Amino acid sequence: MRQSYKIAIVFLIVMGFFPLFSNSSWLAVGTTFLIYSVVAFSQDIILGRAGAFQMGHALFFGLGAYATAILNVHFGVPIIYTFIPAILIPLIMAIVLAGPIIHLKGDYLLVATIGFNIIFIQVIQNDVFGLTGGPNGIFGIDVVRIFGVEFMSQTAIYYMSFILLTLTLLIMRNLDASKYGRAMFYINKDDIAAQSMGINVRYYKLYAFALGSAIAGAAGSMFAIQYSAVSPEAFNVVQSIMFFTIVLVGGSASLPGVLIGTFVMFVLPEIFREFATARYLVFGLAMILTMILRPRGIWPVKFGNIPNYLKKDTK
Amino acid sequence: MSDYLLEIKDVSKFFHGLVAIDDLSMKVKKGQIYGIIGPNGAGKTTLFNCITGLYTPEKGEIIWEGKKINGIAPYKIAELGILRTFQTIRLFSEMSVAENIMSGRHIKSNQKWYNGIIHTPSMKKDEKKNWLKVGELMDFFELSKYATTPAGDLSYGLQRRIEMARALAAEPKLLILDEPAAGLNENETIKLAQTIRKVRDQGVTILMIEHDMDMVMSLCEYITVINFGAKISEGEPSFVQDDPVVIEAYIGSDEDE
Repeated sequence: MRQSYKIAIVFLIVMGFFPLFSNSSWLAVGTTFLIYSVVAFSQDIILGRAGAFQMGHALFFGLGAYATAILNVHFGVPIIYTFIPAILIPLIMAIVLAGPIIHLKGDYLLVATIGFNIIFIQVIQNDVFGLTGGPNGIFGIDVVRIFGVEFMSQTAIYYMSFILLTLTLLIMRNLDASKYGRAMFYINKDDIAAQSMGINVRYYKLYAFALGSAIAGAAGSMFAIQYSAVSPEAFNVVQSIMFFTIVLVGGSASLPGVLIGTFVMFVLPEIFREFATARYLVFGLAMILTMILRPRGIWPVKFGNIPNYLKKDTK
Repeated sequence: MSDYLLEIKDVSKFFHGLVAIDDLSMKVKKGQIYGIIGPNGAGKTTLFNCITGLYTPEKGEIIWEGKKINGIAPYKIAELGILRTFQTIRLFSEMSVAENIMSGRHIKSNQKWYNGIIHTPSMKKDEKKNWLKVGELMDFFELSKYATTPAGDLSYGLQRRIEMARALAAEPKLLILDEPAAGLNENETIKLAQTIRKVRDQGVTILMIEHDMDMVMSLCEYITVINFGAKISEGEPSFVQDDPVVIEAYIGSDEDE
């Protein structure tokens, strides 16, 4: 089995036992870490695998969060049912928004996606149709209830996030060993060669956007449950830049890399909270140094994940 | 339907008003090894880019198995069975040799959109079938021991072989080779010629650009000579070789250099 899968499994085991050894405030940090890891992986599908410079990913994370919040608070839909629209709305929006700009290359796509993110924030801050709650957002999101059982403790929310991350990692593994996942890499590495091999670049890039945004939406829904509130600043361009940076600092298309990236960008600031704002100086420098010293990320992806029966010894 | 696999009819391509291909016509028969020669900058690669859909010609028709194909997207051209290699090697250099060749299986794989997320038994069967085909090609091109090596780490000669294996993985009807012998040593070139013959004997039609005259003359069954985008001669190697127009074009171009 591939090394990165082994690491992912060890990571899941450690995270599975984490609640036994932590207090409630660390459990909350752990939950946020799990949720942000899911968002980072969803960004990685688009940026790290398909190679599309998406810098508005918080928009899709936010769409999921707001879908859950609006449906639950304004329409009384039970949280468990809001999961589906929280996945489908970002998925559809990704196709609608990315469709017309998918042919844009690198920096052009990056600017266009930032534009989408800014418009999204503007819309929710203006309390459209009286649904988004303006700058303050939406409060009082219900707890998850399944068959009358309430899952409201931090531990319960932690494990729901844990399940979400496990599913996301399963999807990443399946994607890697499929025609669709490989097509993304081919497009990323050389789109002219990919086209000449019969790969429809536009289709597979849109697939990456749709899949990545759907997963981000699921994470958004979880985020709304965790905080029982949503507000615009959790989904602005600064957050998008963070998700983008996680993938590049950690290592594009690398499972351990993305986890390390999320840990470095979200958990370390919590650990060093006592150092107040000085810690951001360190993080800024760390980001710069990583890009200079390890341009492919802290833990770069390793290709060559092929079936064992093709691995013959050197003659 | 004609007995020609590919017909180029009066094709012209311009770049900023400058003519790159000038009213060019040629016909490739099924099972042929067809050569295109001409001095540097004659428009040979431009012609290949027109056939494979990377460029759209301003004038004329490209006919594949009786149907007009100019203006069709490159990925659809590949689906029709026209696969190519590149003069400047274009491999997915960070990826392993096996993964590179697997890209050729893309159009032969029948995985569905949901198989990117959920694996099914039929999908796993498809996956295995395609990897085994990659294995066969690695054996044929003597690449098996480099299966997991990043393609970009290998020598020029090996990279040319990977490109060819990748194109053949798609089981093409027409294999377009853009200077396959460029950068190869003598031994490698002889081996390449044998490989090309073997591939043709498996039923693949070959269309190639090549500067190595010994190879072209011994390998190709029919040759078109291009200069300044226009056809100046065509015929069997023995004819083209002695055609005064061809000799002049080559000597003339040498003087320019």
